[in-house]
Amino acid sequence: MTKSSLLAADARTKKRNAAESRFKAYGFAAICVAMIALVVLLLSVVTNGVTAFQQTYITLDVVLDEDRLDKEGNRERADMAKVTTIGYAPLLRDALLTKIAELGIETELSERDVGDMISKEASATIRNKVLANTELVGETVSLDVLASGRIDGYFKGRVTMQSAARDANTSPEALELAQALADEGVIVTQFNWRFLSAPDASDQRPEAAGLGVAILGSLYMMAVVLCLALPIGVASSIYLEEFAPKNRWTDIIEVNISNLAAVPSIVYGILGLAIFINFMEFNQSSPLVGGLVLTLMTLPTIIISTRAALKSVPPSIRDAALGVGASKMQSVFHHVLPLAAPGILTGTIIGLAQALGETAPLLLIGMVAFVREYPAAFSSDAGLFGEAATALPVQVYNWTQRSDPAFVERASGAIITLLVFLLFMNALAIYLRRRFERRW
Amino acid sequence: MEDMIHVDRAMSTQQDIKIKAKGVQVYYGDNHAIKDVDVDIDDKTVTAFIGPSGCGKSTFLRCINRMNDTIESARVEGDILLDGEDIYDPKVDPVQLRAKVGMVFQKPNPFPKSIYDNVAYGPRIHGLARNKADLDEIVEKSLRRAAIWDEAKDRLAAPGTGLSGGQQQRLCIARAIATQPEVLLMDEPCSALDPIATAQVEELIDELRQSFSLVIVTHSMQQAARVSQKTAFFHLGNLVEFDDTDKIFTNPQDPRTESYISGRIG
Ligand SMILES: Nc1ncnc2c1ncn2[C@@H]1O[C@H](COP(=O)(O)OP(=O)(O)OP(=O)(O)O)[C@@H](O)[C@H]1O
Ligand SMILES: [Mg+2]
Repeated sequence: MTKSSLLAADARTKKRNAAESRFKAYGFAAICVAMIALVVLLLSVVTNGVTAFQQTYITLDVVLDEDRLDKEGNRERADMAKVTTIGYAPLLRDALLTKIAELGIETELSERDVGDMISKEASATIRNKVLANTELVGETVSLDVLASGRIDGYFKGRVTMQSAARDANTSPEALELAQALADEGVIVTQFNWRFLSAPDASDQRPEAAGLGVAILGSLYMMAVVLCLALPIGVASSIYLEEFAPKNRWTDIIEVNISNLAAVPSIVYGILGLAIFINFMEFNQSSPLVGGLVLTLMTLPTIIISTRAALKSVPPSIRDAALGVGASKMQSVFHHVLPLAAPGILTGTIIGLAQALGETAPLLLIGMVAFVREYPAAFSSDAGLFGEAATALPVQVYNWTQRSDPAFVERASGAIITLLVFLLFMNALAIYLRRRFERRW
Repeated sequence: MEDMIHVDRAMSTQQDIKIKAKGVQVYYGDNHAIKDVDVDIDDKTVTAFIGPSGCGKSTFLRCINRMNDTIESARVEGDILLDGEDIYDPKVDPVQLRAKVGMVFQKPNPFPKSIYDNVAYGPRIHGLARNKADLDEIVEKSLRRAAIWDEAKDRLAAPGTGLSGGQQQRLCIARAIATQPEVLLMDEPCSALDPIATAQVEELIDELRQSFSLVIVTHSMQQAARVSQKTAFFHLGNLVEFDDTDKIFTNPQDPRTESYISGRIG
């Protein structure tokens, strides 16, 4: 037998090392593919959606003509409310025409087409303003009003001269006028707070559509889920893990919980429809029903992760507590639960994040409805959680169904908002885990 | 909740036999781990359990404070009487029993809390201290008796899990004696200790004998001979021999005992 040298690798070692580097290469390749997919996804969402956070406004000095707005001349809200938004549109159009004339810009556009450059939403906004403060009538107010979707699209590069030529809603002349106005500083682009605060808008006015109701609805639902799923989930896990006798019944329950976690979420929607809406007769599309359905869906996730967290606490800690004469309950609440807390919190937040992004069950309970108004909150009979609302992912789904290409931008913007929420929740989960992590 | 476990300590009267075990059988599922063991443990004495690994010393020890209740597969038969009362009687609350019968486990298992809280936990849940000063005193006294005060006094707020293995074991001893049990069960309390700490713990055992009855499992013949008055030798789940320590070590009756002591089986 020859003496082998440590400096030269023998055949077996070479083979082992080769296998190891092959394995590392596979793993690296897999991660690269995943990263590329992620980057492509994020890039496409961001490039499509980031413009939703910018909005084009026209700065106008609007003359609030008393003859048109307050025919009685008494500044009574009830009388003034008879003037609809259609009555306000000419004011805006006239203001814009005046502006164009002042600046000496030449245009072949008809008055009507000039009026169409202003969003239909703008007259509603100004009407609300006037009705809120009737003293404004007769005065001239300087306002930033929404430009129409096509004009907005032009400044975001979505609408071009070529596409405008084929478009019934706008024309190359209108775009030229818009460009001239922008050069004069009359048309400006601002950060779009309305996107985060305004409710949804109809098909004809994508420029006005916002996420306000969807964000509120999602927050309400998260509140319902957190208040129900966390206590119920943690209590049932503690019971199952620490107190329940281990017999056939608890085995069956355990298997069923694992199965429930794998049930497609749409099934929970059908369940919610049958129980909460048809049987218990809660309001359709209300965050209460949505929250209850999402609670049912999240419970198995929370129970499973809580049980795993409880299981990971070493039994010697329980023995130690029992050994000094603590009761079962004391040993669980004084020692086991604090040690399991980081795991429980992480599981709960992951469950919540899942619920936040869930669409299918909400479609079934009618949360896909077009909601134009904020929930009336405390004032209504249905209460805070009973009024119709939508949710972020449902709003995304809803907007992708619309025909106007301007909604593509809105949908992507909504996805970005949803992702920011999810990112925030995951960061919170990581922070809490670090914060409560303890050695043993 | 905590006052519910008020323990009536006035009951312990002067009695010669503290614990009386009759025909104890323990099964782990099908594994018959303790076979028909009879032992009388006297009050105010140290009883040592010796025997080869896996012979059931820990198992029998855990029967005495019903820690085996926590093991799903374990089944205990026979009678164990503490002061003449059957501890496996359905009326007995094991929580109340464990306050009287303290235990130091084979593996050190401090709570992942501060050193102070480790020792103070038992007195707190049993309401043994009327105020903070009282509690401080109990903690200091327990740590001193467990020979860890000097190392721990400057870091009472530091986590108990940050101590070395031997320090952790002494912390567990301090925790067990802080609740002032009547019987103290110690499962290899010195297996992780250096000779100095071992000597201190042995001193403690000797001192505790004045007030408690102690049962100690050990793999060290010298230690059994030094600290105990009675010795029980277990082998494959049987209690082979139980007698005065002197007699076991000088004049064993059973050949198995003799060969174990002289190092031939184990
Ligand atoms: N939790 C358990 N479940 C099942 N069997 C067990 C359990 N604990 C101990 N046993 C079995 O019971 C027998 C006795 O174990 P025990 O721990 O009492 O031995 P020991 O005498 O303390 O040994 P050592 O000196 O190594 O600590 C062994 O055969 C062991 O396999
Ligand atoms: Mg043992």
